[in-house]
Amino acid sequence: MKLFVLLVLAGAAALAVGQNSHSKTDPKFVAPPEAATKENPLAGNAQAAAGGKKLFLRSCGECHGEDGTGIEDAANLQTPEVQKQSDGALFWKITNGNVKKGMPPFARLPETQRWQIVSFLRTLKPAKEASPSGGNPPSSPKGR
Amino acid sequence: MRLLRRFILVLTILLSSFLLAQEAPYFVTYDHHLEEPRNLEIATSSTIGVPRAGQKAYFAPYLELEYGAKAWWTTEFYLEGQSTRGDSAVFTGWRLENRFRPLMREHWINPVLYVEYENVNEATRIQKEIVGNTPDFGAPNAELVRERSHELEAKLILSSNTHSWNVSENFIVEKNLSASEGFEFGYALGVSRPLSTMASDRQCRFCRENFTAGLELYGGLGSTEGFGLHNTTHYLGPVISWQVSDNAWLHFSPAVGLTRESNPVLLRFGYSYEVRGFGRRLARFLRGRP
Repeated sequence: MKLFVLLVLAGAAALAVGQNSHSKTDPKFVAPPEAATKENPLAGNAQAAAGGKKLFLRSCGECHGEDGTGIEDAANLQTPEVQKQSDGALFWKITNGNVKKGMPPFARLPETQRWQIVSFLRTLKPAKEASPSGGNPPSSPKGR
Repeated sequence: MRLLRRFILVLTILLSSFLLAQEAPYFVTYDHHLEEPRNLEIATSSTIGVPRAGQKAYFAPYLELEYGAKAWWTTEFYLEGQSTRGDSAVFTGWRLENRFRPLMREHWINPVLYVEYENVNEATRIQKEIVGNTPDFGAPNAELVRERSHELEAKLILSSNTHSWNVSENFIVEKNLSASEGFEFGYALGVSRPLSTMASDRQCRFCRENFTAGLELYGGLGSTEGFGLHNTTHYLGPVISWQVSDNAWLHFSPAVGLTRESNPVLLRFGYSYEVRGFGRRLARFLRGRP
């Protein structure tokens, strides 16, 4: 009986510490320069971006929201602050995560799929700029 | 208490036939990817041991609850049982496991530290890991359940992702706190790759991207009282996992025994289901928010 009480307490502790309360943006979460210069091999590939949307909803939507605006403490991916970052920088962030701040690494996804997510992120536009169809892949996403 | 144990065993067996969870295809080997924060994975896995002459076949299911407490910490709780042909079905115990990621970035080799407490009896057959020498498969369950052991287990998990391949190595040490058996050692190695690295633009169940296949090798390495391969069990087998929906996976592995002491074949299968944002939803519920 004591063991079950201990287990319940341990579970409650895990739930309690699992509630992150970090700010929406972390100024220290910056990709190294060499990673930021990597180019997206799938840039401009609309089909890849569509596949990226599926992956985004599966792996990222729970925290960043289906439209990328962020839920609670996760970053809003539609903001210029995020969108001005290069494809390489976003790829690096997806790969490594920001573990201390609660974002897990997504290196378990194959490299191609992580680039697909980057391609999809480029289709996210702030609500007032979004097209009625939900947005298309950018014409020149490279080098941002 | 006996009734409670029977209830838990029946629940575990029932759930094993239609529930279960884990993303990597391995059954024994761990890679360095932890559960995502605030997600709860409910999984069941079962092992069927095909016997040698003079042994009895057994079916050993377990139920697993895995919670991502932090991006660097995953905690798991297991309930396990076992049924031996011509003998009985018994509840074999529970385990509490924690995995910690010491490095905050991805590296060429990524270490994870694993600590587990086991409160199991000698009838346990799930073989979630194999350590030490060959266990006694001959004694009746009624005798084995009386021998309860408290064990501490530690693993060093090393794992690498390269060109869509995952290569994982686990080094295991276990100490039975209930007996003076010294430290027991074991290992597990796994390699796997998704069948397609590109996600298609449509929802599909049978796309190659939903399948991951690989190979797994695991076994015992004796103990401090006799380190080595003598009188140890080792298994090698293919592993395959199928993502049947956005948050559910099926796993299967037919492993072949490599030594005379091993079962000729271990059939493993499992199902896992991930409840995304469980912690967040629970916190909202407790705060009385929708």
